[in-house]
Amino acid sequence: MKKLPLIIAFLWVFLPALSEELPRPVVEQYRLEGGKGTAFSSYLSPMVYSGDIIQASAEWSKALPSAPESAIMRFAGSAQLTDLLNPSQTAKMTTTRANFLYGIELRKRLPYSLQATSGTSIEATAGVMYLTRNGNNPVSVIANPTFALDASLSWKFNAWKFPCLLLERLHLPSVGAFFMPEYGQTYYEIYLGERQNLAHFGWLGNNFRINNRLSLIIDCGRTAWELGYSYDYYSAKANHIFNRTTSHLLSIGVIPHGLGIKRKAAINSPLF
Amino acid sequence: MAIIGVLICSIALCACHDEDIPQYIDDPYGNFDALTKIVGDHYCFFEEKGIDWQATSAKYRKLITPRTGQVELFLIMSKLLDELKDGHVNLSSRFSTSYYRKWWSDYPQDFNLRTLQEYYLKFNNFQTSGISYTVMNDSIGYIYFPSFSTEVSPVSLDYVLALLRETKGLIIDIRNNGGGLLTNIDTFVGRFINEEFTGGYIRHKLSATPNDFSQPFPVKYKPCEEGRMKYMDRPIMLLTNRSCFSAANDFTSVMKELPNVRIVGARTGGGGGLPFSSELPNGWAIRFSACPINDCHDKITEFGIDPTPGYEVHCTPQELANGKDAILDFALANIFSTESKR
Repeated sequence: MKKLPLIIAFLWVFLPALSEELPRPVVEQYRLEGGKGTAFSSYLSPMVYSGDIIQASAEWSKALPSAPESAIMRFAGSAQLTDLLNPSQTAKMTTTRANFLYGIELRKRLPYSLQATSGTSIEATAGVMYLTRNGNNPVSVIANPTFALDASLSWKFNAWKFPCLLLERLHLPSVGAFFMPEYGQTYYEIYLGERQNLAHFGWLGNNFRINNRLSLIIDCGRTAWELGYSYDYYSAKANHIFNRTTSHLLSIGVIPHGLGIKRKAAINSPLF
Repeated sequence: MAIIGVLICSIALCACHDEDIPQYIDDPYGNFDALTKIVGDHYCFFEEKGIDWQATSAKYRKLITPRTGQVELFLIMSKLLDELKDGHVNLSSRFSTSYYRKWWSDYPQDFNLRTLQEYYLKFNNFQTSGISYTVMNDSIGYIYFPSFSTEVSPVSLDYVLALLRETKGLIIDIRNNGGGLLTNIDTFVGRFINEEFTGGYIRHKLSATPNDFSQPFPVKYKPCEEGRMKYMDRPIMLLTNRSCFSAANDFTSVMKELPNVRIVGARTGGGGGLPFSSELPNGWAIRFSACPINDCHDKITEFGIDPTPGYEVHCTPQELANGKDAILDFALANIFSTESKR
């Protein structure tokens, strides 16, 4: 029994090292995205603004050391800027948003070169919707930590002798918290110290968001290229105020070291 | 299949949430209805002004036809908004901005800038950060502050009060000050107090339901930071006229509560509601009072602040034209008559 702590310590130190024997490449994805979107905040205006969106995003994924065959961890971040106009094109709204998430997913390799993943992530989103011509209510703040559900399905195939991957990823923030001022409250009052009832528990009924991304990744060996489309819907409803943003983005991305589909070292690649 | 299921559910949830977006049509009726809905939901002084908004709106809606042109529609909407009798209410189009003027135009002006500059400042005064100042009668500091629309620099205010530190009394003239940044009130008031005090109360609407307001939240004023110039324990006269509005009105209501301050001149113009902005389907912007800011007794300030009893003074246009400012003369003559009003 005296040796038990020693055995536990041995296992604690050396078991992960054993699993490290299997290569666990980090897949880095960097994207530039552009497209169209809308923004609405009943706090700012009763009109839906629409216009152009640009976004930069990055994603790093890797097989988990403890279960490289069946689990993946993922870190992702994005920054978005929009330039929107009201329907009569007399007023401008600018929105900015940054988003970070860390998630863990279980994967299952399926027949026909398919892979499915499902898991959870924690996510933080922060941003503002800024309506330049409003005086005391010029911004609607987005502050939104959430716990999300994730799922993906990928299919590996060859096209023109290039290994390719078709990847569909769904991200569904489910519960969390979000910021919302009271119906007629100005930010001046918040500045004065009136800060009751600003943070709200969010769930799918009052803080619904979904992000859906479809990507085609073409592995050219040392580098892989990604073409994609993503749809994002964000809404928050509290204190008789409703905020909503939507976006349709086309993306071009690069995966610097490729997917390594042909390489043996990529046996535990998180994407396939 | 699971992904497809989630997608279908998501689309359904998106659709449910989108029901919260109002659908207005950009035609004369659609724009008029949007205006009446926005103002009806948010405006904060219906009860105090005895306005039945639905009935008033219905009266003006009858003037609209599907062929009503933009200018005509603008004039009808402006007349409807004039019923609110509120200087904070504006409708802004690309060709004009509506503005309710009667809160000051129906009253004597009680001020002439040229008279002040020529006969009292003699075109020879210090000026910084939008503040004109000088020493009058060898011992009375005089500050003219015509607008709160730009932020007053605390450093500039230090210099102003440093140059006036030997004076035995201070006249602060805010006549014709149409308001601006409420934060300027903190900057100023902090120079005249030694301890924190509640200078007023603010509240906001909690929903579109009439009179659904939050509990009053105290607006507290703190003394300025250590090391900044103060002006304490000496009489102060604050000169006001009907054109003191919004932040200037609020400043008057706060200063009136200080024991060494007297308000001299005419009742201020009001504007005791912090304005909110919105817009109509045709892109016109609308601004209106949304958050009442009351005085430290939680009394409405929308209708103006009266001078200290016994200190109401008016200037006739003839006197002003002849170089006599009766309000300023009264302040100069009486500033030392009572060291404290209480």
